[in-house]
Amino acid sequence: MFLRQREPLSFERSVPGKRGMDLPKADVPAARDTRPAHLKRSGFAALPELSEVEVIRHFTRLSKWNYGVDDGIYPLGSCTMKHNPRLNEKVAGLPGFTDSHPMAPDALVQGNLELVHTLQAWLQEITGLPGVTLQPSAGAAGELTGVMLIRAYHVSRGAKRRVILIPDSGHGTNPATAAMAGYEVVELPSLPDGTIAFDDVTDPASGKTRKGLRTLVAELGPEIAGAMITNPNTVGVFEYRFKEVSDLLHSVDALVYMDGANMNALVGVARPGDFGVDVMHLNLHKTFSTPHGGGGPGAGPVCCAERLMPFLPVPVVVRDTVKVGEGEVPRHTYRWDWDRPQSIGKVHTFYGNFGILVRAMTYCLSHGSDGLKAATLRAIVNANYIRVRLKGAYSLHIDSPSLHEVVFSDTLQAKHDVHTLDIAKRLIDHGYHPPTIYFPLIVPGALMIEPTESEGKDELDAFCDTMLQIAKEAEEDPDLLHQAPVLAPLRRLDETTAARKPVLRWTKP
Amino acid sequence: MRYLPSSPVEDQALLDAIGVPAAESLLAGIPEALRLGRELDLPEGGSEQEVAWQMMGQANRNMRFCAQFLGAGAYDHFVPSAIDALISRQEWFTAYTPYQPEISQGTLQHIFEYQTLICDLTGLEVTNASLYDGGTACVEAALMAVRVAKKRSTVLVSRGLHPMYREVLKTNFAPHDDLHLVEVGLKDGVTDLADLAAKLNGDVAAVLVGYPNFLGAVEDLTALAAPIHAAGALLVSVTQEAFAFGWFESPGKAGADMACGEAMSLGNKPNFGGPFLGFLAVKDAHKREIPGRVVGQTKDLEGRTGYVLTLTAREQHIRRDKATSNICSNQGLVALRANIFMHLAGPAGLTGLAELNAAKAQYLRERLLELPDLEPVFEQPFFNEFVLRYQGDYAALEAACLKESLLPGLDLGRFYPEYQGCILWCATELHTRQMIESLVEILARVPVLAEEV
Repeated sequence: MFLRQREPLSFERSVPGKRGMDLPKADVPAARDTRPAHLKRSGFAALPELSEVEVIRHFTRLSKWNYGVDDGIYPLGSCTMKHNPRLNEKVAGLPGFTDSHPMAPDALVQGNLELVHTLQAWLQEITGLPGVTLQPSAGAAGELTGVMLIRAYHVSRGAKRRVILIPDSGHGTNPATAAMAGYEVVELPSLPDGTIAFDDVTDPASGKTRKGLRTLVAELGPEIAGAMITNPNTVGVFEYRFKEVSDLLHSVDALVYMDGANMNALVGVARPGDFGVDVMHLNLHKTFSTPHGGGGPGAGPVCCAERLMPFLPVPVVVRDTVKVGEGEVPRHTYRWDWDRPQSIGKVHTFYGNFGILVRAMTYCLSHGSDGLKAATLRAIVNANYIRVRLKGAYSLHIDSPSLHEVVFSDTLQAKHDVHTLDIAKRLIDHGYHPPTIYFPLIVPGALMIEPTESEGKDELDAFCDTMLQIAKEAEEDPDLLHQAPVLAPLRRLDETTAARKPVLRWTKP
Repeated sequence: MRYLPSSPVEDQALLDAIGVPAAESLLAGIPEALRLGRELDLPEGGSEQEVAWQMMGQANRNMRFCAQFLGAGAYDHFVPSAIDALISRQEWFTAYTPYQPEISQGTLQHIFEYQTLICDLTGLEVTNASLYDGGTACVEAALMAVRVAKKRSTVLVSRGLHPMYREVLKTNFAPHDDLHLVEVGLKDGVTDLADLAAKLNGDVAAVLVGYPNFLGAVEDLTALAAPIHAAGALLVSVTQEAFAFGWFESPGKAGADMACGEAMSLGNKPNFGGPFLGFLAVKDAHKREIPGRVVGQTKDLEGRTGYVLTLTAREQHIRRDKATSNICSNQGLVALRANIFMHLAGPAGLTGLAELNAAKAQYLRERLLELPDLEPVFEQPFFNEFVLRYQGDYAALEAACLKESLLPGLDLGRFYPEYQGCILWCATELHTRQMIESLVEILARVPVLAEEV
């Protein structure tokens, strides 16, 4: 990391006449120009002219300003930054997968179709839900698909419902998704442990009362299409009354969507299908170790209960058993089924981020039933080890065992005018990526730490030692934290000016 | 399990420090009745060697081809070696979204450069850090146009748009009773101006047109822009083959108000349809309505230039249900591949590759037209794809090609009943003259082969 302090924009390095690519010689006559004059490409304004070595150095130098999972613990809460196995990358790069065309006849892509079918079977067993689509490209795309399934279900029963309930502890994508699917969002209050409030909640400061789940169900009943619930919630606590929540919602035929962002705490331990979830998404780039890639591509498969299966996006992979002679092992063939009259339609141009599905399948095969559960338990142990070691130095939001992540707040440091942002930035000076900060919104000054199962005791200890030192620094030398980071390539950046006077691309001076 | 840093001694030390006898004790927060209570009914884990072999077998169950004459929204181009080498750096592929700018300047500066180049290709002023794929980019463009146009609720979609893009649009418009998607028909392979004129009215927010369209034909954006702008609507150009930007004028200069589509061609393989690279570029005046992540340039405390995620007031984590979209990721690594590709190619590479694609496609078309059972359907300027009517039986043609490890063009009748019996052919820089001659030779034999059967 941080090898060099400056790498200019590539455009500033461009020299006319340089090139980083030689073209193959033409073995056919030159193209005749049939374009109308006004539709001929008139040129480019920014494309740089650089040699291959200059391009490689540019992107190598830029990379050194990033922090990756191989640099050390990446404690972002709710992001599940676990190890990205190299085997998965190698397998996803096999030409048999990468060269296959999405419009090729089914008979020619049996390997792909079998992989889709097998991964679906694994996800069915892991979630306890019989319907699966691998089409959504990301968690948010999965949420949208799931909520559209809920809508299709109600429409098929002749009901137009207008409301989706979402706890105030939920991720921002939940309400944004509900709005994109045409619903009105009604916020559910949560208790301090992030679980859903059944009864009305009165804020002691303002005296304002917010309606709890029971009141909302009683008042809105047939208007409620469903609820979107993150479990374990964003405080790292299992929604221990989940069955009661789903029973109450089901009593008015409202469906239960589970945001599976935190599934790394449940794989092999508990299955959403067993506690009343009708539909959920998984983040393969979290729980199933596919790399985050600096922002993507991810994959957000959706799993659903039987009553939602008719509405799944097209196409759906189908396995046929080929008849064989007596005593022979049956063979299977696979095909896409496009004839699904009740389907919500397509949610991706083709079949989703297939290359990511290959990586997730490889992760599953490497772990197996035993490894998946072991990973879950170790992730939980690691989070609790951090909880125990940092308790006292940082204010613990909830003082009880957590699942895969643990949430602290900055109340102890605030006495010294040191806040969560300062702690996060000081971690950078100590060589770590900061945790998730100021989320969930229900915890003021939240520091949300998720170590994942990838960290050994040494790594955890080194990180905790650093956090403890920062707590000490906050007491003794708060300015050190206010100034941080000072060892990164750049100091704190002016985000206000960036938003007020946006410069969103380079233009020739 | 090789990925878990587990050993009996260390595991015990962790449990002792926490003060519990076993890891399972930490599950106390999950009610007993809601736990699985058994092991998952799945196979045991495998060694790297076992898993590698199993997955290689899986990959080998797909058929490999000497040449694919199939494009239709997923194009096979040559990928320079530098791309795989660079994106294999852990600093790129294992990093998270650049929410902490001081420790993510690599990703942020790359996105800023990528945004600059997508604006350059499309001739527009503002773009984002990328979207999922061509189909969802159309959805975001259409919904954004509705926000920009205010109080207009109809989006016109040319039938020349990729059929799957139209399907994705339909899915996403279905929940909105107040919004309408209306199809505009085709004439001679391009958007029918008379049908467009008949459907343009004061409620139309935008018109989505393929550039080039799914049939390979280039739409005259300049001619389309006149009536669309006169009706107060926005012209949205949809490009599914980004190599065409090296051949045809940029949508912005040709008259489009927004440009979206698919840029997987830039440094990626077909990958069975994903991960791909959606893009959306717009005019500066509309920048606060654009969905997705946007990177902007700024200064640090010491006045040094740096980059941050910006205009976040549009996004879901701030605005929740009032956000411009629910999207919160981008196609990060695919956008990086495209960015490196554009850097390697430069203006000469993109133009040269485009000329080569046009030349190969024109040669393929000429050679195919020499066969007695293939004939033109319409005459329009095209780039690397075109449509021909086939007098014979597509199934027989396909079988003959597959036997020789060639993947033929798309049977258009699957998506366009009016083009029953027509085939959409594609040629790129990967197609040698020899491959084209082999295809022609095989096609010449199809009628004979069919008779023998």
